[in-house]
Amino acid sequence: MLRIIAKRIKEGIKSEKISIKDENVEILGNELKTKIDKHFHGSLFIREIDSGSCNACEYEISALTNPYYDVERFGIKFVASPKHADALMITGCVSRNMYEAVIKAYENTPSPKFVIAVGDCSLDGGIFKGSYATMDGVKNMLPIDVYIKGCPPEPIDILSGLLILIKAKIENK
Amino acid sequence: MNLLLKPVESYIKYYIKNRNEITLGISKEDVKLVSNYLFKDLDCDLATIVAMDDRHHGLDFTIKYVFSYKKEDYFFIVETMVNSKIESLTPDIPAANWFEREIHDLFGIEFINHEDPRPLVLYPENFPQNLYPLRKDYKFNYRPEFKTYGKYEYKDVEGDGVFNILVGPIHAGIIEPGHFRFSLAGEYILQLEIRHFWNHRGIEKLAEGKDIWEGLSIVDKISGDHSIAHTIAYLEAVEKILELDIPLKAKYIRVILAELERLMCNINDIGGLFQDIAYSFGSQGMFILKEDIMRLNKLLTGSRFLRNSLTIGGTNIDFDDEKISTLISTLSKIKDGCRFFKDIIASSASILDRFETAGKIKYETIKKLSCTGYIARASGRKSDSRKEHPYLTYKDVRISSQIFEDGDCLARLNVRFSDIEDSLYIIDKMLTELPSGDTKIGLGHAKKGGSSLGYCEGQRGTIYHFLKIDNYGKIDRLRITDPSYNNWQTIQFAVLGDIIADFPLINKSLNLSYAGTSL
Repeated sequence: MLRIIAKRIKEGIKSEKISIKDENVEILGNELKTKIDKHFHGSLFIREIDSGSCNACEYEISALTNPYYDVERFGIKFVASPKHADALMITGCVSRNMYEAVIKAYENTPSPKFVIAVGDCSLDGGIFKGSYATMDGVKNMLPIDVYIKGCPPEPIDILSGLLILIKAKIENK
Repeated sequence: MNLLLKPVESYIKYYIKNRNEITLGISKEDVKLVSNYLFKDLDCDLATIVAMDDRHHGLDFTIKYVFSYKKEDYFFIVETMVNSKIESLTPDIPAANWFEREIHDLFGIEFINHEDPRPLVLYPENFPQNLYPLRKDYKFNYRPEFKTYGKYEYKDVEGDGVFNILVGPIHAGIIEPGHFRFSLAGEYILQLEIRHFWNHRGIEKLAEGKDIWEGLSIVDKISGDHSIAHTIAYLEAVEKILELDIPLKAKYIRVILAELERLMCNINDIGGLFQDIAYSFGSQGMFILKEDIMRLNKLLTGSRFLRNSLTIGGTNIDFDDEKISTLISTLSKIKDGCRFFKDIIASSASILDRFETAGKIKYETIKKLSCTGYIARASGRKSDSRKEHPYLTYKDVRISSQIFEDGDCLARLNVRFSDIEDSLYIIDKMLTELPSGDTKIGLGHAKKGGSSLGYCEGQRGTIYHFLKIDNYGKIDRLRITDPSYNNWQTIQFAVLGDIIADFPLINKSLNLSYAGTSL
């Protein structure tokens, strides 16, 4: 037990101050929590769906919950069911086999809802565009509210995408 | 001819030896006999089965059964021509099960006496059962109408008090899609049926007709966390065909990057394992180390997944003194971190209690399904292509590649800890001996056509890329086999007799790639 406590003290707090590759970075970063508090009563629930990605995007999205980013402190939580979600975060090129599942998840998310497309293949299929086994991304399927590009986008990019979503879709509506 | 093949000598029509690949021409009636000899008597693993549509050359379909021999550095490739039907190997070699079903889906070759001829990759729910995408006359972008063409029959258990729990394809966590059907009596699992290939993207078809450079940008997206391992497997195949000898420094850098990736995956897996037993101090501790490695990756190569750092004929990156010193300091932090958590586990009964005896996989299951990687080594079976079929500079490195006998979650956890030590040792050795010089050679007038088997030991096991390039330098066939493919089938055995609450832990202890399996 003592060892664990000693380790905790030695490591300190890992969570970083958010800095985003955008000109409004600092302002957005500091305002993220305020905005979620204001518009989502303190909690933005996201359901993540892999519609046919290579798992790199999943790796980066789950990195958001590690102590370096720790997005839960801003009120962002990844939930288990689309029925609990405010937003769907979709990665991957939408494979033919996943098409129905993605549609069902979307239908089961209560309105108002947002669709966040993450990664280069999620918009139009990216490198898998045109293949017999894919449906070329989310673009032709669901209304995308924000698209976060990158292959895969880094956690910090995903975070900045969320900030942009709130700013564009709620505040400047 | 190789002496090992003496007992089946009379069935061999032709014999071609190319490096460590020994191709045996066998007529299709004798394939079963020869394969059984290789699999049972020589204790080979069935590495992959490659089908090719050679009808446009006036031939039939070619099927290559690739067997990996472990006592010496050989791959035996049983090659045969098939018109439309061939006897299934599955009754004797269960590892052939998914391979044969996949070939049936994509090429339309029928496997006689296959125990489970259900479709695998293409779903009857949305794809017609008489279209075969990997045939050469199928256009890569042809999409048949999206409608129901048939029904997939699940094998549910029925009986008094038996009930089924269906999970997926979309799961509760941030993970890839897969469908799991549990049949339970009380809390105990009677049967688990898995259905995969939800994220089948048609990668093998997409690669066809592309040149070898374009192939590079596809292979690192087969399984994101194994970008480097898949790229190395692909490059091994390309460079063997082109007869390129890459600079020594490039080999060292490739090994360092491959070990960094292995380190990242092992640390992430251990973090995940801790998370699934609700030991959050441990899991977050491991995730901190993972993030440290990913940031190190970014510093070394510009990509957190080490992408785009390798190229045909060498590497795109080089190490300078600053990079090397950051590498060394990060790795020493990781070494301390991992040892700290390893010690904690050894002294914590509540952690050990969850891992011990959960998800036991028997040696026989591993052998029958030709599993590789930590899953095999946790159940007492040797498996590490870095030792058995050394490539790059692995021949000159001592790799402990430790083996555990118990086959449970604890054994798979311990294999990972020992793999971490291995990786740290290898990187350290490569850095001390890092030669100077170029990291890339020009291709010049390289020979163009040919075929070869490239492979690389990923963190999950051995990755195989069978590549055939035509005389114009275009990819004619790229057959990719991720270790997850064989290893996934063990989960149906691992959970038997365990309670449903242990499933997440068992699944995480295997931590296989869905994307790498589905392609």
